[in-house]
Amino acid sequence: MDAFFASVEQRDNPELRGKPVAVGGSAQRGVVAAASYEARKFGVKSALPSVTAKRHCPNLIFVKPRFDQYKRVSNQIREIFAEYTPLIEPLSLDEAYLDVTENLKGIETATEIARQIRQKVKEQTQLTASAGVSFNKFLAKTASDVNKPDGMFVIKPHQAQAFVEKLEVRRFFGIGKVTAEKMVKLGIFTGKELREKSLEYLVNHFGKAGQYYYEICRGEDHRQVNPERIRKSVGVENTFKTDYNEPDDLYRELDIILEELQKRLQRSKAYGKTVTLKIKYQDFEQITRSRTSQLLIMDQNTIGHMAYELLNALLPLNKGVRLMGVTLSNLEFADEIEGRQLTLDF
Amino acid sequence: MKFIVSSSELLKHLATISGVIANNPIVPILENFLLQLDETNLTITASDMQTVMITEAQVESSDKGSIAVPAKLLMETLRSLPEQPVTITIDEDTFGTEIVTANGRFKLAGENPMDFPRAPEVNRNFSIELDSDVLGTAISNTIFATSTDDLRPAMTGVFVQLDSDHTTFVATDGHRLIRYRREDVKSDNATNMILPRKALTLLKSSLPSETLPVKAEFSNSNAFFSFGNIKMICRLIDERFPDYENVIPQNNPNHMKIGRAELLSTLKRISIYSNKTTHQIRLKVDNNNLEISAEDLDYSNEANEKLGCEYNGEPIEIGFNAKFLVEMLSNLNTDNLTLEMSQPNRAGLIIPEDKADNEDMLMLVMPVMLNSYS
Repeated sequence: MDAFFASVEQRDNPELRGKPVAVGGSAQRGVVAAASYEARKFGVKSALPSVTAKRHCPNLIFVKPRFDQYKRVSNQIREIFAEYTPLIEPLSLDEAYLDVTENLKGIETATEIARQIRQKVKEQTQLTASAGVSFNKFLAKTASDVNKPDGMFVIKPHQAQAFVEKLEVRRFFGIGKVTAEKMVKLGIFTGKELREKSLEYLVNHFGKAGQYYYEICRGEDHRQVNPERIRKSVGVENTFKTDYNEPDDLYRELDIILEELQKRLQRSKAYGKTVTLKIKYQDFEQITRSRTSQLLIMDQNTIGHMAYELLNALLPLNKGVRLMGVTLSNLEFADEIEGRQLTLDF
Repeated sequence: MKFIVSSSELLKHLATISGVIANNPIVPILENFLLQLDETNLTITASDMQTVMITEAQVESSDKGSIAVPAKLLMETLRSLPEQPVTITIDEDTFGTEIVTANGRFKLAGENPMDFPRAPEVNRNFSIELDSDVLGTAISNTIFATSTDDLRPAMTGVFVQLDSDHTTFVATDGHRLIRYRREDVKSDNATNMILPRKALTLLKSSLPSETLPVKAEFSNSNAFFSFGNIKMICRLIDERFPDYENVIPQNNPNHMKIGRAELLSTLKRISIYSNKTTHQIRLKVDNNNLEISAEDLDYSNEANEKLGCEYNGEPIEIGFNAKFLVEMLSNLNTDNLTLEMSQPNRAGLIIPEDKADNEDMLMLVMPVMLNSYS
């Protein structure tokens, strides 16, 4: 979906139409969750601090997010997808991979399916969507960005090579800002230069992800569309109203975070093995520290103990903390584990 | 060759060792008993290549010779006869075997005794002696927890660890583990071996009801047991037994002391209502109260019972396979026991309160995961 949250707000409130809109908190320390295309012209984009966004675009209108509403629209579009294929892998509320190799309507080409889905989405939600059509996930995802908004792009097998070669590394799905910068420093600007590097070189410089980069710059991606893609972590983070320097403030905030985490775990009925503490300092330096338990953590107290230990290891503070978060990962879900006979660890 | 023997006497001997014979033996000759006659001594052998059992019977004869006789046919014949002396005559050229009874004659085709595999050479490294009831107890205390999974051959037998001050018998199927220790069985040669389940089952069932000394001898690849007129030779399982000491938790702080019989009968009742595949039951312990519950969502069946106990520890909810618990408790001989727990996904220990001075028993059982979110 194009500028999803912002578009929903503009649809539901005619006064916002044609204006720069940001969904998110306008307060001193809020961030932009989504920006309308009008706002994007000013460089407003998601994850930008609201204050900075306002500086870029003084007329920016902030709207509080209405997640229930987004969820409703999300369900609407997923129902449309489901008319065509059961193989749907949602990436987020407004984005999904569809494997239409064998589709429910027996339509010959994926391009035609994409056209129909975009049309139905527009009719039923009055919102626009963009589509990327190709023969693997990486290329389809990359293609979906080419003609955004309200557009479509197809990469056929014989075009893949040329397309990827010309693509700037920062446009690759899976290469973020930091990695892209690192690549540029190494003289890798486009898919062409990336292709020239050996697998060994990429693994040396980028670790495990090197293997993925090696494949995608060749237009290769063997991942299946996985309809049961499950969530990999449950986390809570808070940006504080003011920066904290005192451990006691952090302990108090940590308790609040842990309590919220507990609620979310309860909701998703998840257990995990890895507890990660994330801290962002006042100078925006961000660090994460994690610990992994050998066994699934079965009681909340243990998550708390582990989080406290991780925090204590970062004390004393030498600069203020503006954000803290705790994430539980390596998840297993209650309905999967219930009734599982545990085995001795020989 | 020819010998006369009481039909029931011979049957008794055959029955003691016939369990060795496999249903579908690797070589057909193993469907036979090997009979070796030395005047009044008849030695009978049964084998499946892994285990060999030998018994000796007294017969009336002045001949010498040997024959392999179809086990099933011979036993069925003897079983159907009223008790009487039978004369068994063997033609050693044709291996034809004839049983003459009071009223008739039964002819069966024997086989060449030379085809019957020899028992492994007795190349004994050392031996120990123990009482048959001690051996029987050690076997029945452990054998039920062995694995039937041929992919983990080490766990399909009982691990025996001989030491200068005690002997330890260990069995595990990966979900539970039994460690039974005897201080009245020891050996100056510290060594260990894995005895296969089948041999132990046979050994246990052939042990006499009265206490008898059993001589156990060991080589690198075989164990030899002899008592009364019975001998058993079995091949050891040539595998590394898992490092069992490592998985026994050292610090399970939550202790629940409870009556064994009471707990056992509750478990039996509640487990009727548990899921038929997982046999999962829930133990909820708090404040000297134990609540045991089960539910089978497929049939909307559920049950729960409350029991008193002595509990020291944090409130806990832990799941177990009821079948495992029932089997373990049934094999304990104690009025009270302690269940030691730490976390719902860590091993629980069952320790009997009453035990003989020279024995020690520890049972470990892995939990079944529960959904602790409501």
